[in-house]
Amino acid sequence: MMKTEKKPMDRREFILAGGLVGAGVAVAAVSVVKDRTPGPPQDPTGEGTVRKLSVLQKVKEHPNEDDHVRMQRELVRAMAKPAEHRHWMMVIDIRKCIGCQSCTIGCVAENKLPPGVVYRPVTTQEFGTYPNLRIEFLPRPCMHCDAPPCVPVCPVRATWKRPDGIVVIDYDKCIGCRSCLNACPYGSRTSDFGRYYSDGAAEGAPTGADRALDGPRSPYEHQPSNEYSKNWKREGHESPVGNARKCHFCLHRLEVGQLPMCVTTCIGRATYFGDSNDPKSLVVELASKHNVQVLLEHWGTKPQCFYIV
Amino acid sequence: MITQSSALSNTEDSRSGEMSKAGGRTLLRILWLALMAAGIVGLWQRFSYGHNAAGYGSYVPWGLWIALYFMGVAIGGGAFVFGALGYILGWEGFEKKADLRTAIILSVAAILPAFMVIWLDLGRMDRLLSVFTSATFTSMIAFNAWMYNSFLVVALICWLLSFKDESLWLRPLLCLGAFLSVLFPSQSGVFFEAVGTKQYWNSPLLSMMFLSSALAAGAGSLLLVRTLQTSAEASTGSPARESDKGIRTLRFITVAALLVYLAFEFAELSIAVWRPSAESRSVDFLIRGDYWWVFWVVQLLIGALVPLALYLLSTSRSAWGLASVLLIVGFVAARMGILVPGQVVGQIQGLQAAFQDSRLTYAYHPTQMEYLIGALMIAVGMAVFYIGRRLTAALAVNSEQKA
Repeated sequence: MMKTEKKPMDRREFILAGGLVGAGVAVAAVSVVKDRTPGPPQDPTGEGTVRKLSVLQKVKEHPNEDDHVRMQRELVRAMAKPAEHRHWMMVIDIRKCIGCQSCTIGCVAENKLPPGVVYRPVTTQEFGTYPNLRIEFLPRPCMHCDAPPCVPVCPVRATWKRPDGIVVIDYDKCIGCRSCLNACPYGSRTSDFGRYYSDGAAEGAPTGADRALDGPRSPYEHQPSNEYSKNWKREGHESPVGNARKCHFCLHRLEVGQLPMCVTTCIGRATYFGDSNDPKSLVVELASKHNVQVLLEHWGTKPQCFYIV
Repeated sequence: MITQSSALSNTEDSRSGEMSKAGGRTLLRILWLALMAAGIVGLWQRFSYGHNAAGYGSYVPWGLWIALYFMGVAIGGGAFVFGALGYILGWEGFEKKADLRTAIILSVAAILPAFMVIWLDLGRMDRLLSVFTSATFTSMIAFNAWMYNSFLVVALICWLLSFKDESLWLRPLLCLGAFLSVLFPSQSGVFFEAVGTKQYWNSPLLSMMFLSSALAAGAGSLLLVRTLQTSAEASTGSPARESDKGIRTLRFITVAALLVYLAFEFAELSIAVWRPSAESRSVDFLIRGDYWWVFWVVQLLIGALVPLALYLLSTSRSAWGLASVLLIVGFVAARMGILVPGQVVGQIQGLQAAFQDSRLTYAYHPTQMEYLIGALMIAVGMAVFYIGRRLTAALAVNSEQKA
């Protein structure tokens, strides 16, 4: 006869069970609430972030100067303030965009982006039928949302919004879970799968002196990227390989008084960039004067990239 | 004379039982070897070619491995909750410590390979431990990782305590384990719901669907294990009546939980069909897209209707075991039916064509490597279960000798 071990739980066991479950719930609740409560910024703020830049110092200001020169001056002015007092924004006039993709290519070259990684694609949409046809181009950088859905989903605090409004990624922390890619409704984040443009390009090529390519990969692909003002070498599966990557408004350029690459390469003067905390800035002027829209407003992400339509 | 012939027949039965048991074991070993060999090839591909051998990309970042991972934790949670509750409440066929240990081992054997798969899915596998050292609990991934690991610790302690004759802590810890094992399958649903910017995932029903499927898959897996166990015991002439009662209970639970899942799924999909909105593009993909057969054939026919028929119409334990296998296959398909349609629908028109690359498409086709790693996951699960059983047997003998 098999011995059964049926015995009801006694009072002490009940109390212990309740205590364990209660303690578990309490620890979980405290952990979540603690991390949900906004803490101090993890980036430097204050006087240490002020940049006294000499860009355009010797060029006299005049009222009808080119928009790029004006934005450059405004950039220098913004950088002279502590980081928490500036708030970057972008305005894109899609009436002026001609779909030349210069911004896309400029960005790829500036940030040494590998295949499958793109920060600023330009979409093309056709409306109507011939002959009543209209084509619209829509450059799509990171929106640097004020309520970024990509930030809270990161399990390791590898992405956050800086005091100056730029949403950044710490390539040294990112574990490559790709949660942020799914959370971003704009598709602004892409994963670096460790590919190279010239991979396999020399396959079948003659060996020796006639060889067109020097080695299996072209040397230009080994150039480090200067994102976040660091030297990122992808060789040997080093970061940012395996990481999520995205537009950072060319933070490394801003630090030295240069406008983002997509702004400077825009031949139609369709992309504007500046400090939304500066009431005299061109971006504030454009955003208040024209009919501006943001993408996918219904998600409540508060994008900081505005489109003049 | 009658006694002699009965004894003779018993000996013959026992001999044929031994043979069938040996045959079953050989079959399981061959299956395991095949799965492991396939898995090693997949592992080699993963480490040689990285994520480039996988089918996911930047616009559809999660694929088959994520579905398998959620299946693993679902089985783990479901198996534990019934093993623990059955033991605490003294259900017939669950009240023995041996039954409890089987449930715990099955639970761990389902969760550990799920962790392995999620590790292989990471872009930076070398930073896995950051989830524990730099966790932020605004993220469901971090919260779930801590919850699963807390559960594993609780399960391990329960398993060790089960070898003691009397322990004040066993049942309270089982209550905590059962609480966690109900919590994490439902939180798996919240994992998707929390991605607030995807219409298709934005439904509170998802957490209930994940919970009911975990209960069905957990009970079904436990049923499968106990069916195999019972047939092995029967072949050696051991009495298996208590275990048989447990199997009947598990069969009832599996059917009930599966029906609840189907009701939730119907509610979820019917809303989208009758009130067309952004999510109906995902629903359209699910029921009429390239992989329509995954939903209609694999999930509903093979994974739900056939198992229901086998559970309800057949009296054969082997048929119930087969039904459990099909049920799990069906739930993997169901998870793919949640995962993929939610991702293949882009929200910025023309984005896919804006910058052309194989990783920048709103399409997902699982690759050979992904399937092979899936095989590895099953093989590792089987190995963990086998090792767990052997350890249990060794510790049980040891504790009996001490007693």
